[in-house]
Amino acid sequence: MSAAPGRSQASSHRSPQGEGTPVTAVDLAELRPCLEGAIPAMMATCAADGTPNVAYISQVFYVDERHVALSFQFFNKTRKNLLAQPRSTVLVLHPLTACFYRLHLRYLRTEDSGPVFESMKAQLAGIASHSGMAHVFRLLGSDIHEVCEIERVPGDPSSTPLPPAPPRCNLLGALRRGSARLAACATLDALLDATLQTLEQDLGIRHAMVLILDPVTERLYTVASRGYATSGVGSEIALGDGVIGVAARERTPVRIMHMASAYLYSRALRDSLAGDGSAAISTDIPYPGLPEPRSQLAVPLLSAGRVLGVLFVESPLELQFSFEDEDLLVTLGGQLAAGIDLMQESAEPCPDMPGTEHPAAPAKAPAGPRLQVRHYRSNDSVFVNNAYLIKGVAGAILWKLLQDRQRQGRREFTNRELRLDRALRLPDVADNLEARLLLLQRRLAEQCPQLHIEKTGRGCFHFDTAGPVELEDVAA
Amino acid sequence: MMARGVSVIVSACGHDLTPSVMRALGSQISASGDFVTVYLGQRPSAQLLRDVAASGRMAVVFSEPSTHRTVQLKTRHARLREARPEDAAVLQRYRLAMQQELGGLGFGPAFVSAMFAHRLDDVVAVEFTPDEAFDQTPGPRAGQPLGGPAP
Repeated sequence: MSAAPGRSQASSHRSPQGEGTPVTAVDLAELRPCLEGAIPAMMATCAADGTPNVAYISQVFYVDERHVALSFQFFNKTRKNLLAQPRSTVLVLHPLTACFYRLHLRYLRTEDSGPVFESMKAQLAGIASHSGMAHVFRLLGSDIHEVCEIERVPGDPSSTPLPPAPPRCNLLGALRRGSARLAACATLDALLDATLQTLEQDLGIRHAMVLILDPVTERLYTVASRGYATSGVGSEIALGDGVIGVAARERTPVRIMHMASAYLYSRALRDSLAGDGSAAISTDIPYPGLPEPRSQLAVPLLSAGRVLGVLFVESPLELQFSFEDEDLLVTLGGQLAAGIDLMQESAEPCPDMPGTEHPAAPAKAPAGPRLQVRHYRSNDSVFVNNAYLIKGVAGAILWKLLQDRQRQGRREFTNRELRLDRALRLPDVADNLEARLLLLQRRLAEQCPQLHIEKTGRGCFHFDTAGPVELEDVAA
Repeated sequence: MMARGVSVIVSACGHDLTPSVMRALGSQISASGDFVTVYLGQRPSAQLLRDVAASGRMAVVFSEPSTHRTVQLKTRHARLREARPEDAAVLQRYRLAMQQELGGLGFGPAFVSAMFAHRLDDVVAVEFTPDEAFDQTPGPRAGQPLGGPAP
């Protein structure tokens, strides 16, 4: 038996029985159910003196069709062997068919930051807490290995193989229906609703939200949600916080099947709020997430190489989101992100815009109850009848609309004039104006229906008040 | 611990230092504890058995799935023999113990049976006396020798 190195030689060398039986070529795709962490993998390495070693490995992470990443948690014999001799063999078991596979690997490098590392770190925290090992599991690095060959281990030919996974639902069909829905949308509002509807109706995912990244403040704000007691529209998460923040910062999906407290953003937020009794007037809109999630998946929304936001789903049950859900959400998220970008670009003033060129005389005061609106210049926060409504760019926009409504009687506005208004401090590029307007529109509909925004066409909208408004501008 | 339903994973390596690995179909430990037999299928473990036959070297991990308690044994003098009719009872007992152990973790009897499916005429018994034993329960102590070399 020759021991020639190299991939092409490896196949004939590793043939079962060694009598010329060809090894079945297997794609890594076939093994992805084995990499979901249901059954721990075993890793065999060899010391320079020929002493074999075998050890459990917490995570075998799918990187791409040619690479996997293994969790590096301890400086142990396996580690020592790998650094001296990069060849290893990993044994995994299919959690449904009970078929064994061997991955013949070659160690390439260790990463201790970046998308693969962060994804594995979040996942490992879940695995560790699920298995009662949270105190000993810490990810030191992600060992990237090249997959030289995959062997489907021949089983007992006389026994009946177990059936493969029953198709859960036709995922490609679900994706197609979702894609068709998104393609039919002409507004950002409709696009977000179509996304959440697809998740709920076609995939049975009942708790979901979409967040948009503000690149200036490096915070993500919720623009749409479904399946929560409160919509949480306008609630914010910092880039890098929890699975949502990590997915956006690292531009990688983060999927957790056993939720660990370390990544419970909602709990951390609640704890920090509970400890801060001084906040008499809070400008924090409560984060809407589940109080006790057990599965979560956050997918970054990428378009033209930029992160626009995050599509996030969760469940109170464990093991709810498989790699197939991740594949589907990444694909659907791609179309959503492209759509969000498209809505921005197309949000130019309508050529036949009524109202912009001929401002009406100051309008007569509407008949509804009086509203007292206070604006704080320091952070553009807006309070209506002493209740917090919104802050930041959306707050500044609302203040402009209210002033123009009162002083000039205007009701019709364009995105373009908002972009040109330096007082609003919109960034020159990637201003997310359409998303900010939608956030404002939804926040008003929920908290202050007497103030009302309605899209009247591409790049233009109608704003009105249902009662007399008293404006107070506070310098502080 | 090792006499109960514990997972048994066997590893060896070729003269080119390429590791081979497979799950055993069963194991048996003598009453004195110093004589161990592990059972492997020839079809699923062809390369592993060739490596053990050529080098005599073998590493075996015993692990209790429900507690993660793990021990690794190493030998330089493993010996192969064909399975005998009396080994069938050992393999049967082992499978039932594993059905019990893995059943507690949510794996049904059909799944466990499929994991350990074999024909006796395909089974090879590998016998050895451990040269070294290590505690390998996950954690910082993993890899520590267990009470020095066995006699």
